[in-house]
Amino acid sequence: MNQLERLLNEFLQQKLQNQTRRHFLMDCVSKVGGLAMVPLLFGCEPGTIKKSQGLNLSDRDLNPLAPLPPPFAPKAKSIIYLHMAGAPSQLELFDYKPELVKYDGKACPESLLEGRQFAFIRGVPNILGPQAKFSQHGQSGAWVSDYLPHFSSVVDEVAFLKAVHTDQFNHGPAQLFMQTGSPRLGRPSIGSWVTYGLGTENKNLPGFVVLTSGGKTPDAGKSVWGSGFLPSVYQGVQCRSKGDPVLYLQDPEGMTRDMKKSVIQAINSANEESFKDFGDPEILARINQYEMAYRMQIEVPEVMNINDEPEAIQKLYGTKPGEESFANNCLLARKLVEKGVRFVQLYDWGWDTHGTSKKESIDSGLRQKCQEIDRPITALLLDLKQRGLLEETLVVWGGEFGRTPMQENREGKVQGWKGRDHHGDAFTMWMAGGGIKKGASYGITDDFGFAGLDERVSVHDIHATILHLMGFDHEQFTYDFQGRPFRLTDVEGELIHSILA
Amino acid sequence: MTRERIAILLSVLLGVSLLFFFWKEEEKIDFSTQIKPILNTHCITCHGGVKKNGEFSLLFEEEAFAPTKSGHPAIIPGDPNGSELIRRLTESDPELRMPYQKSPLSEEEIELLKTWIRQGAKWGEHWAYSPVAEPNLPASPSTASLGNNNEPIPLKPIDYYVREKLEELNLQPSEQADISQLIRRAALDITGLPPSQELIQSIQSGKISYDTAVDQLLASPSFGEKWASWWLDLARYADTKGYERDVSRTMWPYRDWVIRAFNSDKPFDEFTIEQLAGDLLHNPTTDQLAATAFHRNTMNNDEGGTNDEEFRVAAVLDRVSTTYEVWQSTTMACVQCHSHPYDPIRHEEFYQSTAFFNNSRDEDTHDEEPKLRFYESEDQERLNEIVNWVSENQDDEEADKFKKFLTYQEPKYAAHIAQDFIKSELIDTKWLGMQADGSCYLRDIDTQEADQLLLNYWSDVDGSTLTIRKDGPEGDILSTIPINKSAKATRTISFPKLSGKHDLYLEMKSPKAKTEQNAIAVVWFAFLPSLPGKEKNGFEKVQNNWENLIAAKTTTVPILIENPSFMSRETHVFERGNWMILGEKVSPEIPKSLNPSEKKWRQDRLGFAEWLVDNQNPLTARTLVNRIWDQLFGRGIVSTLEDMGTQSDPPSHPELLDYLAWRVMNEYDWSIKELIREIVTSETYKQKSVLSPELFAADPQNKWYARGPRIRLSAEQVRDQALAVSGLLSSKMFGKPVMPPQPEGIWQTVYNGESWVEAEGEDRYRRGIYTFLKRTSPYPSMVTFDAGSREVCLSRRIVTNTPLQALVTLNDPVFLEASFHLAKEMMESNPADPKSAISYGYSKLVLSQISKNTSEAMMSLYKQGLSEYQTRPELLEKFFGFKNQIVTPELAAMSLVANAFLNLDEFLTKP
Repeated sequence: MNQLERLLNEFLQQKLQNQTRRHFLMDCVSKVGGLAMVPLLFGCEPGTIKKSQGLNLSDRDLNPLAPLPPPFAPKAKSIIYLHMAGAPSQLELFDYKPELVKYDGKACPESLLEGRQFAFIRGVPNILGPQAKFSQHGQSGAWVSDYLPHFSSVVDEVAFLKAVHTDQFNHGPAQLFMQTGSPRLGRPSIGSWVTYGLGTENKNLPGFVVLTSGGKTPDAGKSVWGSGFLPSVYQGVQCRSKGDPVLYLQDPEGMTRDMKKSVIQAINSANEESFKDFGDPEILARINQYEMAYRMQIEVPEVMNINDEPEAIQKLYGTKPGEESFANNCLLARKLVEKGVRFVQLYDWGWDTHGTSKKESIDSGLRQKCQEIDRPITALLLDLKQRGLLEETLVVWGGEFGRTPMQENREGKVQGWKGRDHHGDAFTMWMAGGGIKKGASYGITDDFGFAGLDERVSVHDIHATILHLMGFDHEQFTYDFQGRPFRLTDVEGELIHSILA
Repeated sequence: MTRERIAILLSVLLGVSLLFFFWKEEEKIDFSTQIKPILNTHCITCHGGVKKNGEFSLLFEEEAFAPTKSGHPAIIPGDPNGSELIRRLTESDPELRMPYQKSPLSEEEIELLKTWIRQGAKWGEHWAYSPVAEPNLPASPSTASLGNNNEPIPLKPIDYYVREKLEELNLQPSEQADISQLIRRAALDITGLPPSQELIQSIQSGKISYDTAVDQLLASPSFGEKWASWWLDLARYADTKGYERDVSRTMWPYRDWVIRAFNSDKPFDEFTIEQLAGDLLHNPTTDQLAATAFHRNTMNNDEGGTNDEEFRVAAVLDRVSTTYEVWQSTTMACVQCHSHPYDPIRHEEFYQSTAFFNNSRDEDTHDEEPKLRFYESEDQERLNEIVNWVSENQDDEEADKFKKFLTYQEPKYAAHIAQDFIKSELIDTKWLGMQADGSCYLRDIDTQEADQLLLNYWSDVDGSTLTIRKDGPEGDILSTIPINKSAKATRTISFPKLSGKHDLYLEMKSPKAKTEQNAIAVVWFAFLPSLPGKEKNGFEKVQNNWENLIAAKTTTVPILIENPSFMSRETHVFERGNWMILGEKVSPEIPKSLNPSEKKWRQDRLGFAEWLVDNQNPLTARTLVNRIWDQLFGRGIVSTLEDMGTQSDPPSHPELLDYLAWRVMNEYDWSIKELIREIVTSETYKQKSVLSPELFAADPQNKWYARGPRIRLSAEQVRDQALAVSGLLSSKMFGKPVMPPQPEGIWQTVYNGESWVEAEGEDRYRRGIYTFLKRTSPYPSMVTFDAGSREVCLSRRIVTNTPLQALVTLNDPVFLEASFHLAKEMMESNPADPKSAISYGYSKLVLSQISKNTSEAMMSLYKQGLSEYQTRPELLEKFFGFKNQIVTPELAAMSLVANAFLNLDEFLTKP
């Protein structure tokens, strides 16, 4: 009989006396692996105090991140979402528009401007032809530009969405819309919904991890991985490359691991006393959380350390150990899903190519950003595939909107570099992995790449599809707040059947 | 089938149903508690609000009885079998049977609906909308309460209501909690802090009674600091604007107003009116103006390329939804796009409510005007002199214009109204920039026949000229303004009197401006008469004072100011909630299903606020009581704090809710302190919070209050308590928000440039309510303990229990420092006896004796630490990250114990 079991039994005997029918069932099935925590811990997985007649506790009462089966058979178990914050140009990467070459430098047709509002374009701008060279790749014949030479070798794994549209054309609101289904603050992010619905497999790691690169957090701040009205336990946990990988993870100076173990032991033994006094199951949950905290302190630094990965893998991704980089984050993403993390969200900042400087230009800055991601995303897909993880991991790539076929003339002035303004009518995203049809392409845009002509998909459609792949009907997956049920997809969203395997 | 047969069949059926009717003495069906829940669960998604399939809706009474697509009504009162509604529920054809493609209603549900129709299908009002009736106390409960010395304790009215329910459920109330536990509970609830040593001694020695202790706690200045946290969640108070850049804003004078209002026990009706409409009161005080910042807590978007009008509208809609949520527990956000699917509120009614809020002067400008200016006392005197001068030399009406302009610099036109730009632009979509030979228009300007233009601008170029013409490029020159290099400042320029509205045409000449360089950046334009009495003695001084006050740098806070009539806005319905698609024009009106408005109230925010706090409005007092109850018991009498509509949880104790609502309005004159006093002195509140398995099985959420509340402390309390018990807590109140230590690299907002500058001295140890709150990056330890980011109104924080919380209280330097100081005090209490020191510390923290087991566990931690530190002195060099501290092995080992103490469930939980 382990400690917790004994405790519960004593509690029962004291309080229940003659009520023999009532007893607590304990269901401690496995031990804590390899952490030598046996004297400290109960040798019991968190959340295994099952429902019993006396103490009607669910796994979630003791551990709000305990895994739950989805309502429908899922196609994917985890998600890696690569968000290029700032919005990459679809016209230089995937949406090949030979017609645009002819119009390069000519005044934009009035028909594209009538009744339109842009973030920065004023008056009549000129059309900007594609700044990249395009060719077709793979058996699917997908068009990819020379900005992404490595990625073009894995296009047959990917399904492109070429006519995604959003009604938001400013970064903050558009990122929120893409990540939370609403352009205003206060809604839960996709990752929060998914961890709320499914919990997470690895009890020693957060269920929803966020990794950022590019030197900044996204424009909309931490709200893009916030839990909105869902309990805060479902918000994304930012794991950082510098400082503590998770805030307050590191023990203070003068405190050894052994001491920390003793401190937690002392806390939990005092808390056991409190449980005897108060009988409040919340205390058992707290005992559990302290054990998890201790295990996280060991496991998080391990998983966040990429130095142990073989050189071939480091090369494949193009990692720079010790630095904050997108390549490092891609490798971490793989390690995290491998360890059972439910949702890994990457944000790479620096894709806002207005042409206001060399770094923010379509012809130079964008090429540079593409070089930074080309190898890592390719490596990620290949690495997941070779480990058999791609089948159960959904990989999503995209920005918060697309960019105009017109060259930006900020406030009516000509820019020093080639740039494109924000544009939400048609842009490209892609998905790969669990449940996605390989080599598919969906969405047709006009000759300017300005608007979707057919097979358009909305942000809500993407969310509906992501939830579907994880085993949810997006219309049934709700949470009550402010007196009404809320959904990730609000009152919209259609499944994108054509890209489902 | 022949007619005769049908007739026979019908009469038989009638006979049978009559028999049935007389046989069974039917209970009267109640629409709101018995029928409406069935309709809401099974029918309303397709028949009400957004969807009206078959042209049938069950949302409003008249819709429910109106002819449907078939031409006939679906409900025929008195005739269940003739009602299509019943027929379709019992239909065998799955294509016709309702709910379509879902499982059928249960027999009981169908029977209820039938009986309801047979009884006349009377539509009813939802409980929350019915008036608060004068209460009748229930009969005296049979269960007596015994005090600590087994003397009987007189029960309070609250207990009558609670015990009545307990008896019904066969549950036994718990005995009274030990006085030390009780005082800790009350102190944490009332002041957010543990009780002072003095108070503990007074009460333990029996010098003062519990009730007296409660009075003292309510009178403590900490009261306001505790309860302000609750209100600021509702008010969505933060120290930044939100959205992309999320830069700082000066909002703290509003936070201080809230703390002071709670401390002075400002009656909730005044508290409400001042926050919603302080500016519309007669001759408002500075405090009443500052209170209106409540609704300036809406976010403001500075991102380049965003349209100010879009975000002004977003702020106004948020104000409407927030007001209804905060005061009426009513969900309005749905109605923004369509009629409410559950509650009887129509789409257009949302916009009629919006019309109350749509005429405030603020326009999502970068500077967040209008802002109240807090003058130093000397400057305030100067202001009064100016106002008196104008009053003496002209009249009070004119004097009022000057007073308003000096107080909050309105009315004025923001630069973002400029249009038709040639070689000019809105810089970053904010300020009017004009290059050499640039021009633009300000359309429909009403100068109110003022003879002065006030121009707020800056410029990096000398020798330019801004010319303003009437109506267009060929129009009369109204003003020629030389523009030179200048930091941002307000300049006064004489201007010809114009009557009526005119377009102003602006042109810029600038020989020195480079190509594409702006020769001016304008922030705003204002038109104001010049000071009267120019010929009088003393004019120069007054004029001088005027100029100085306009230029004075003051503390400010954004406030609400109503548009003057010449600037007033029309309000339209937004089709499907889209602000770009305007529907019919609407005027301010209260939704029909809520308490009716009275003629005596004005059709503006003030009238709206008066309607809210009128004693006939049942929702306001119920909402207030419910929220305060939740603060004390961790659960509302209606558990859905944000909503008392038809989708809400029914109240656990409806009569208790109404009893307290009645009391707070009619007997307490809206005093929040009295309400809290009544609750915390009830026996219900004073019970032990010990939980037996039977009790847990019978009432896991403590909905029936057979035990006292036992709840984890809030984020602010977790911090404040640790600082308080370690003696670090600063008692400094009010003022700018502070930045206690947080890990590096937390703030990374784009285009912002602001940084977290760690506070020095006592500002490191202020209460959590003073911690700088950045919306896109709130203080990490607070968020971990479930505090919100204050982007939108938050009625309840959901309490979670996570490993990240453990990491905060274990490793956050704030808690380490607290551990260290607590350890010092423990050692000083019993220098030679660690075991006693440990007992001392434990009692100090949780006000009870340490148990043998816990004492042993802590001693063993101490001993292990001690031997480790004695053998490895290097661990003491930078112990817990401290610099320049001499740490003995004993102190270090005791710090481990104190660190453990600060993590105890009992310490983190209200007993």
